[in-house]
Amino acid sequence: MDFDFSDDQQQLRDAVHKWVEKGYGFERRRSIEAGKEGVPGFSRKAWEELTELGLCGLYIPEDDGGLGMGPVEGMVVMEELGRGIVLEPLAQSLIAGAVLAGYAGADLKAAWLPKIASGEALVVLAQQERRTRYRLDVCEAKAAKTLGGWTLSATKNVVTAGDQADAFLVPATVDGKIALFLVERNAAGVSTRGYGTQDGGRAADVVLTNAPAQLVTRDGLAALEHAVDIGMAATCAEAVGVMDQTLAVTLEYLNTRKQFGVTIASFQALRHRAADMKMQLELARSMSYYASLKLNAPADERRRALARAKYQLGQSMRFVGQQAVQLHGGIGVTDEYIVSHYFKKLTQLEMTYGDSLHQLGEVSARMQETAGVFA
Amino acid sequence: MDLAFTPEEQQFREEIRGWVRDNLPADIAHKVHNALHLTRDDHQRWAKILGKKGWLGWGWPKEFGGPGWNAVQKHLFEEECALAGAPRVVPFGPVMVAPVIMAFGSPEQQKRFLPGIASGEVWWSQGYSEPGSGSDLASVKTRAERQGDKYIVNGQKTWTTLGQYGEWIFCLVRTSTEGKPQTGISFLLIDMKSPGVTVRPIRLLDGECEVNEVFFDNVAVPAENLIGEENKGWTYAKHLLSHERTNIADVNRAKRELERLKRIAKTEGVYDDVRFRDEIAKLEVDVVALEMLVLRVLSAEKSGKNSLDIAGLLKIRGSEIQQRYSELMMLAAGPYALPLIREAMEAGWQGDFPGGITANAPLASTYFNMRKTTIYGGSNEVQRNIVAQTILG
Repeated sequence: MDFDFSDDQQQLRDAVHKWVEKGYGFERRRSIEAGKEGVPGFSRKAWEELTELGLCGLYIPEDDGGLGMGPVEGMVVMEELGRGIVLEPLAQSLIAGAVLAGYAGADLKAAWLPKIASGEALVVLAQQERRTRYRLDVCEAKAAKTLGGWTLSATKNVVTAGDQADAFLVPATVDGKIALFLVERNAAGVSTRGYGTQDGGRAADVVLTNAPAQLVTRDGLAALEHAVDIGMAATCAEAVGVMDQTLAVTLEYLNTRKQFGVTIASFQALRHRAADMKMQLELARSMSYYASLKLNAPADERRRALARAKYQLGQSMRFVGQQAVQLHGGIGVTDEYIVSHYFKKLTQLEMTYGDSLHQLGEVSARMQETAGVFA
Repeated sequence: MDLAFTPEEQQFREEIRGWVRDNLPADIAHKVHNALHLTRDDHQRWAKILGKKGWLGWGWPKEFGGPGWNAVQKHLFEEECALAGAPRVVPFGPVMVAPVIMAFGSPEQQKRFLPGIASGEVWWSQGYSEPGSGSDLASVKTRAERQGDKYIVNGQKTWTTLGQYGEWIFCLVRTSTEGKPQTGISFLLIDMKSPGVTVRPIRLLDGECEVNEVFFDNVAVPAENLIGEENKGWTYAKHLLSHERTNIADVNRAKRELERLKRIAKTEGVYDDVRFRDEIAKLEVDVVALEMLVLRVLSAEKSGKNSLDIAGLLKIRGSEIQQRYSELMMLAAGPYALPLIREAMEAGWQGDFPGGITANAPLASTYFNMRKTTIYGGSNEVQRNIVAQTILG
């Protein structure tokens, strides 16, 4: 039992931190959100800068061109990206790298893993359908066997950077059972409609009409659950980074802003609220650790742990986000000031891979007789 | 970073588990698992069993006869005891006053007092709060006036937990009214059999007399019972308060009680009621998050690399969770938590409890009793002040 970071992990954190601080200031983020570096919410250039740090191949084995690192390294990186509310979706490369490495056949791995690791290819998860909400076992997309392989017909919504990605990981049913496929964006029968998202990022609707696809695994639900769990752990870590910053600027504001002739940090109602925010942040950080440290556990244990973690993070994100706005007063609801951007990011993260109500249902359904971290 | 305990820690846990299984009297465990009434004798029996093994002072260093365990080992010991249904060790002797005697007492005082604490022979009480000093401890008024080789003590302490059983009491007393309130306080050990000491139990909302008022009427206390220097008591008291950081969260007991809550909910037929079950699920997440928080503190203490000053958060969260599980247990039983039949809270009662489940008898009383947890040990509002002080200055 040990929660210290190794020197290597600390160095990794420092490297990402440095890039965020120097290369991804609030003004740049704002211009990316406005589409000044390409489309609104995504910058290929910023993406390439991220890839130069080698982060895309974090979960990809060294033999396949990656770094072969683990969930704690992923957590460290995502925390730092959260601190800068970075828009470019590194978590997708973590997911795609791990899922292809863990479930795909040799050919598919050889074709995609080096490209994902280098950042040359952005592969994103496209699981969301109108009727699935947050459930993973509901899927209307259909796959059909053809002479040379497979074709998919599906409509997937709110796909992260969907019109910028190079390929999609798509769950679709074969004989009523979910399988997982890879579809290239430039393939015939693929159309995308991109848009900005509330957090300033980018997503797209992806429509597949008999689009050629490659089978990743017939065991699609297991792979999809694993993919989403990696995404959830990344989301938790990212949220901790966002909340760290959110609390920091809020505390600074309380100690600066004067009303009635004194700094508002002297008011006990506000001090107690700040203490409650700190509580939520530390509970969230603890559960983010828990999520990452359980990411390689057997599927049942992993799913239960991730649901618990995401529930806590969801609660914490909502509280910290809402209270940060409240404690800032009027400036907190302006676009000009950074706190509203933290708030929107936290809101979107809560609703990514299952909001709190959904996760509570998962925790409730998976409850056992025993209790605690090791149960 | 690693969630798992090391093989050595795991083996340590197994040893403790085996020993507790072999040595914890079954009748006591039964009472604890069912929230039945514990007598003085129950507490003392367990304390002496631990004392004989040298584990009543489980947090003590080797030089004072303790096992010299590190933070993680202490936690594992506490966890195994809690899960097995051992009563919480009455902390005033081994956990509270002993570390102060070790750190600030004279060699004579150490020789005189520590053996009786280590063996569980002597029952200690805590004399901190006063009618006018609740969370504002520095305002204590109980006077100790030096007369020759004695202090003459006059005043009143209150909320003295289990003081009706106490043989000795450690007190914060005022020896000076000059300067700041904190600077005129001394730390005095008082024999409760001394003439002029009167203990009066306070009946609480659950009908039990868990706490007491202790009156001092011209009580003569030998000056050799003063710990350290006169007027330095506040420093010693603060040392005491900082000594136990994770223990106050009581997460091990919370785990045990969460398991019991699930059993009660099943018996009462509400476990499959989605609305009720979701409340248990929320608590389950709360308990895991608290345990992770505790483990983070332990890890930081073990490695000494990063200090994690979040004792206030642990107290707030731990106490809220204690209140919540007791509340949900009562709600699970619903109307069958309402009959007030005191005998049913004693072990071995053979009567018919309304609804047929005798285990429901103490649920409401426990819920009422648990309201204390967010008040004692520095109310949760005071804890929030402390947390705010750390993060806002």
